[in-house]
Amino acid sequence: MNTSKIEIKNLTVDYIEKKKSFTALKNVSFPVNEGEFVSIIGASGCGKSTLLSVLEGINKPAEGEVLIDGERVNGTGSNRSVVFQHYSLFPWMTTRKNVAFGIQQVRKELSRTQRLQIADEFLDKVGLSEFKNKYPSRLSGGMQQRAAIARALAMDTEILLMDEPFSALDAKNRIALQELLLKLWEGENSENKKTVVFVTHDIDEAIFLSDKIVVLTSHPGTVYDIVEVPFERPRNREKLIERKDYAALRSKLLSMFYHDIADRIGGNEVVI
Amino acid sequence: MTIKARFLRITHIFFAILMLIQLLPNKSSKEVCTSSLIAFAIAAEAVVIICSFLIKKKESLLLTLDIFGFIYVFLTAWTLATAKFDLLNDLLFPPPGKVIAQFAEDKTVILTNIKSSVGIIVQGFLLAAVTAIPLGLLIGLNARLGNAASYLTKFFSSIPPIVYIPYGIALLPTFRSVSIFVIFLASFWPIFAGTMSGVLNVDKKIIDSAKVLNVKKPAMLTSIILPASLSQIFLGCNQGLSVSFILLTSAEMIGARDGMGYYVKYYSDFGDYTRTITGLLVIGIVVIAVTFLFNIFRQYLLRWKG
Ligand SMILES: Nc1ncnc2c1ncn2[C@@H]1O[C@H](COP(=O)(O)OP(=O)(O)OP(=O)(O)O)[C@@H](O)[C@H]1O
Ligand SMILES: [Mg+2]
Repeated sequence: MNTSKIEIKNLTVDYIEKKKSFTALKNVSFPVNEGEFVSIIGASGCGKSTLLSVLEGINKPAEGEVLIDGERVNGTGSNRSVVFQHYSLFPWMTTRKNVAFGIQQVRKELSRTQRLQIADEFLDKVGLSEFKNKYPSRLSGGMQQRAAIARALAMDTEILLMDEPFSALDAKNRIALQELLLKLWEGENSENKKTVVFVTHDIDEAIFLSDKIVVLTSHPGTVYDIVEVPFERPRNREKLIERKDYAALRSKLLSMFYHDIADRIGGNEVVI
Repeated sequence: MTIKARFLRITHIFFAILMLIQLLPNKSSKEVCTSSLIAFAIAAEAVVIICSFLIKKKESLLLTLDIFGFIYVFLTAWTLATAKFDLLNDLLFPPPGKVIAQFAEDKTVILTNIKSSVGIIVQGFLLAAVTAIPLGLLIGLNARLGNAASYLTKFFSSIPPIVYIPYGIALLPTFRSVSIFVIFLASFWPIFAGTMSGVLNVDKKIIDSAKVLNVKKPAMLTSIILPASLSQIFLGCNQGLSVSFILLTSAEMIGARDGMGYYVKYYSDFGDYTRTITGLLVIGIVVIAVTFLFNIFRQYLLRWKG
């Protein structure tokens, strides 16, 4: 049974800078069902991170609201874990401590040893075992990103909010982490799948991972279209790429992308 | 570094020169205590050799060697200008051997004085740190309150703390308590200001990360805000510490019965410039030692910095 886990209703978000108001998102509405994997794509600056910040509860909308389990979001909550676009680990904690600290905030019942054990397990999954006792300043950008992903995944929350989490990774790590994410999303039984909202600008990644793709246009950010991804799971990367309907879906999404950019090139502002 | 590179350094040549010039006849009519200087220089050279074995990092070793090289050159020039050629007034400029001998002679008195001075600084400074840091954290947390407080702090820290001394003497019974009070005031404001500016300037991304992790208020303060402001807090502490030394030695020269400032003042009043110079050098060494220890502590707590 699909019920709406997250309900985004008529969301408008303004940024006020030097007394001038700038509308980053306008009238955005869409539901995210329980256990659904939803990707958000759109040009740079169209408001993807802004949308996520409202779901995270660190940004308040000017109009509209976000409901989670039917309740209005009014701040952060322990049902959500987040990977920021700027991965933000705490620089004074080792990688391991960063992950364990995240776990500690949502799962108070665990002992220190249990937390560290889970942290080690997840750092191993993202390939950072050897670096677990290093401080973030000693890690590369991609490693920091993997550590932040490990922290979010280890927190094992119902909802995962991820903002371009794989952007700093090489192809090999990216594929490995996509698989890992899918595995954790599906969980042990299909009853309690996590709900994922995933921002990316990689169309292939969005298709491979998602049930549904929300395409945003920019200035101000609005929903251009919501596209269902019909492919059955588990998906096989190589076979998927060869399918005709995959190519069709891909070019449809691409044209939406270009449509948005072409509109702006037609105007007097050029953003690529 | 190769063994050769470690031990064949110019510092040792400076040491040899310092030793050789001791063979020249003394021109000064006063006692010059050559043996004390030689003993001191040999002890220094022993330290250099031990360091050459122990220090692994090339930069640190070279730095140590260079510093000792300077000391040898300085001692050589000092010996030549005083004991050997008698170029300077020997009442105002005692030869280095005499200063070293004086130090050995006054060891216990000097140690008591150091203990007294450092004790006062540590007490006043710690009192300031344990009050200013929590207060700064709590007030800085509220942006509006923090803003107002930083203006008030600017006012209070603009009062040179030395002018609190007369008032402190009226308020408090002993010289020691006055000194602690004044050092407390002098260190409190920079530490408080540093802490607040640290808290007010914590990166918003850090705060957001903590918020989405649902970090609760107490942990937010101790696990997030405090470490995030730590470098600024230490800036304030450093400032407080250096003001403390200036202040204490000045205060000791005004009204104390012990302490290093008192030692210097007391003997210069009697025209005993050997002891005056001994005192000055000891104060320098003590300040450097305390600052050095404090820096080690700081570097340890900030070891995560890139
Ligand atoms: N803190 C802020 N203050 C003012 N304007 C902001 C702020 N954050 C974002 N904006 C503006 O809001 C718009 C949307 O920004 P947002 O970060 O949500 O874009 P994005 O889709 O995530 O882009 P990218 O793909 O580059 O990450 C941009 O035009 C940006 O200039
Ligand atoms: Mg973004």
